[in-house]
Amino acid sequence: MLNLLIIVLIYICLFCILSLSLNLIAGYTGLLSLCHASFMSIGAYTTAIIMTKFNADFLLVLLLSGILASFFGIIIGLPTLRLKGDYLAIATLGFGEIVVNIIINWESLTRGARGIHDIPTAKIFNYRLMPKDAGILSKVIYFLLILIFLVLTYAFISKIIKSRFGRALEAIREDEIAAVSMGINITKYKVFSFAIGAFFAGIAGSLFSIYFLSISPGNFTFNISIMILCIVVLGGMGNNFASILGALIVVPAYYIPQLLNIPFIPPQFNQIIFGLILVLMMIFRPQGLLGRKKPDFERIIKRKSFFIRSR
Amino acid sequence: MKRLSVFFLIIIAIILFSCGEKTINIGFIGPLTGDAANYGKLMTQAIKIAVEEKNEAGGIDGIKIKFIPMDSEGKSDKANLAIEKLASVDKVWGIVGAVFSGTSLSIAPKCETAKIVMISPSATHKALTSKGKFIFRNVLSDELQAIVFAKYVFNEMGLRRIAVLHIKNDYSQGLAEDFKKVFENEGGVITIVESAVQDDNDFKTQLTKIKQTDSEALFIPNYISEIAQILEQAKQLDINLKMLSADGFTNPEIFKLAGNLANGIVFSGPPNEKTGVNNLKEEFENKYFKKWGEKPDSFSLNSYDGAKILIDAVEKAYYDLNEKDRSKLKINRDIIQKYVANTKGYKGVSGNISFLDNGDALKNVGISISENKDYKQLGVYKIENNNLVKVE
Amino acid sequence: MFNLSLQELLQHLINGLTLGAIYALIALGYTMVYGILKFINFAHGEILMVGTFISLAVYNVLCSTATSGMMIIVFFIISIIIAMISSGLLGVVIEKIAYKPLRNASRLAPLLSAIGVSIILTNLAQIIFGTKDQRFAYPYNNDPFNLFGISITPTHILTIIVSLFLMVILKFFIDKTKLGKAMRATSENKRIAALMGINVDFIVSLTFAIGSSLAAVAGILYALDYKAKSTMGLLIGLKAFIAAVIGGIGNITGAMLGGLLLGLLETIGFRLFEILVVSIYSIFGKSITGIPLGLKHMVAFSMLILILLIKPSGILGKNVREKV
Repeated sequence: MLNLLIIVLIYICLFCILSLSLNLIAGYTGLLSLCHASFMSIGAYTTAIIMTKFNADFLLVLLLSGILASFFGIIIGLPTLRLKGDYLAIATLGFGEIVVNIIINWESLTRGARGIHDIPTAKIFNYRLMPKDAGILSKVIYFLLILIFLVLTYAFISKIIKSRFGRALEAIREDEIAAVSMGINITKYKVFSFAIGAFFAGIAGSLFSIYFLSISPGNFTFNISIMILCIVVLGGMGNNFASILGALIVVPAYYIPQLLNIPFIPPQFNQIIFGLILVLMMIFRPQGLLGRKKPDFERIIKRKSFFIRSR
Repeated sequence: MKRLSVFFLIIIAIILFSCGEKTINIGFIGPLTGDAANYGKLMTQAIKIAVEEKNEAGGIDGIKIKFIPMDSEGKSDKANLAIEKLASVDKVWGIVGAVFSGTSLSIAPKCETAKIVMISPSATHKALTSKGKFIFRNVLSDELQAIVFAKYVFNEMGLRRIAVLHIKNDYSQGLAEDFKKVFENEGGVITIVESAVQDDNDFKTQLTKIKQTDSEALFIPNYISEIAQILEQAKQLDINLKMLSADGFTNPEIFKLAGNLANGIVFSGPPNEKTGVNNLKEEFENKYFKKWGEKPDSFSLNSYDGAKILIDAVEKAYYDLNEKDRSKLKINRDIIQKYVANTKGYKGVSGNISFLDNGDALKNVGISISENKDYKQLGVYKIENNNLVKVE
Repeated sequence: MFNLSLQELLQHLINGLTLGAIYALIALGYTMVYGILKFINFAHGEILMVGTFISLAVYNVLCSTATSGMMIIVFFIISIIIAMISSGLLGVVIEKIAYKPLRNASRLAPLLSAIGVSIILTNLAQIIFGTKDQRFAYPYNNDPFNLFGISITPTHILTIIVSLFLMVILKFFIDKTKLGKAMRATSENKRIAALMGINVDFIVSLTFAIGSSLAAVAGILYALDYKAKSTMGLLIGLKAFIAAVIGGIGNITGAMLGGLLLGLLETIGFRLFEILVVSIYSIFGKSITGIPLGLKHMVAFSMLILILLIKPSGILGKNVREKV
């Protein structure tokens, strides 16, 4: 049982990193990107390819994966600068499909559709990790490792958002023309936003590679990009904390129903529930569960105590 | 609120109630939703027959076999969660699965460490069985299937110039590559190798190119979705090549999809080996059809045999125990593995099965041809000393 | 493969034209909805899929009683009409339930709602219609006939003729009738159209109905050659949308042009590209037999990015200056 819980937690953490990084691009900067899974795939494949060929220290490979993914973020960011809303979304969708197509067809590098299945376990500071199935302890180690990177990601992105950089991004999201007339260099910030968002997606991909030790193009499809977007939207766009909350809701909702194995319910059922959540959330609470602002805990506590006092 | 708590109580009651009965659990991991849902459906139907047969015969010492199918959607993240659940919650003794090579490779390590015998009915990737001694496959690996077919086509059919059209996926690509290797080794010429990606259904560009080569035949080692398209489009382009395929072609649904175009195709697949008076394969196919209203494909046959081999091994290991251990169901997993590994000459519906030391299945290959919307076997073959030998 | 015969070229041309005709029909639905609501109906492909399955069910049931080839053709036409009506209705219902409440919400909300609808429809279809590929039997003999060495099937001709016919009717409807004028007015400016007395809600429903029913026809023509499957809407839907963007979204003629262009590029265009690549390689002394044809899907996506970079409003679209 504990095994299952840790696995779900690991999946949640991975999706948290992905949704935090997408939130930076889509929530804070207002750039609707539908190719986040592709950035993840670049990180994952970089890690897989390097590790199957060289005996490198994982942290170095991780950094490289993030940088390469970031590079691709810049590649998609630059040409799409002038595009708005839906157009941008479709352009990113196209980009995502191109990346998958290239991965499948560039067999000499990526082994094509069959994927890479002999990834060695990670080596960190000369200590080699055990594979995840070696026992519950190794799973816990992976969980802690991924959790550390989640915390780092959260801290880094929070820092950015609170700084001038973050405010510039939000200005761009709210009104581009006004932002330009205020002297904000839209190009720089948009590209940076993509670069940073893609970087962390690449990190998530890299962690995916060393956890599963087996990747194929089917792990990074458009459906995954949609799921990450769902998490961001459900939690609340432009709200960092909300992305975590979103993951805590969506990821179990996606994986758990199949585990219950309720008889007579066809397996398509939980996909339908997933679709319903999307439609209903949009109709009844499109700003997401938490909306834009972080919950003001102070005010909530004051309110509650006021209520108690006035009794 | 009250209605909600009643609802939860009912759910808990159901779970507890089903926990009460002692069962011997067998699992399955494969796509039950998504693009490949039909494959998972056909396979689980076959396994259900195997489990029912055993339970009707009294189960194992009166204990019922419980079949737990899990959906992986063909993806490794879901497959990993599924095997974890089957291992820690259901404590399965073995599984039939996974369906695709990618997911099989990713769950193999868990099966190995949890000592769950894993028999894949369809994953043909070379490296699979090397993942551990608990990992088996009941489908001919790409190499073994391709080598027989390529030699047959060269020696028995006398073909010398063949074009290949495959899909870049788990299944088709390996077969195409190994076939090419062997055929060229024999002295034949592969005129052109064209490919498409998964979910493609327009092959006209590839076929138009193939039409320009002067080939005698076209090898299409794909699933029936793509084969149906290729046959249809080849006809539309007025291509009249001899068509060759592999075990993916054995899904009788192809005749519904392509009608008479699916006749006259020579392919390799599970052999119909006469075992005394009874024809096991035919009997099973009829039983399957009666129960499910459709005929099984070769992967379903492999699933059925895999499930039966598993159940038999668990039963033997159970009877090896003393009374006390039996009542506690403390079956020795290493013993189960031993019995499975020692499978030699098992008469299955997918042919006579023997497991090699590495967990690969050694089976003869049936070469058949499709005729009048049905399959007709031309012969059963195997390789001996690198030569094609017909089995009588 | 370096020597491309004229026959092969013409064959690719025919293949491309038929494919393009199908893309064009589907693209019309996207472009009309976008023109009026400035919204991409992600579920358009799935509506097409449902229509196709309904038509297939009706067709199979009716044909089991058919006694002559003529009856089969009649039943075919009936099933197409039923599909058009059901898809049209489905489109209207979905709009009312999942999109209308979001008309004034952020740009993201209807998009995500559409994605949700698409997921629901695909899985519902799997439950109701099954997971297998299903064949739409030709209502006529589909043997190809040989014209100067290229093969043309009756379906090729049917597809091109039906698409052309429907597009001409649509163009006539939009340009010459009063309702069509109302639709054009609404897509220019919703508010003013409402002020002029046009029932915007009705026009929106009409747009969805027309777009969906055209897509259903495209789906049936597609299924004849390529079979019906619950996931069929995804890829062709996406490609058709790209075609609409290339041609100029919001522009009817643009959708037709974009569809045709995309169809041609994916077939003859890609083949020529392959020859170019092979030639370049041979100039450098390396000989390759070709490039993986699975890459032809990249054509659509590359074209998309290209057009968005060069002229986002599409080939026939107008450049709209953003007002401050």
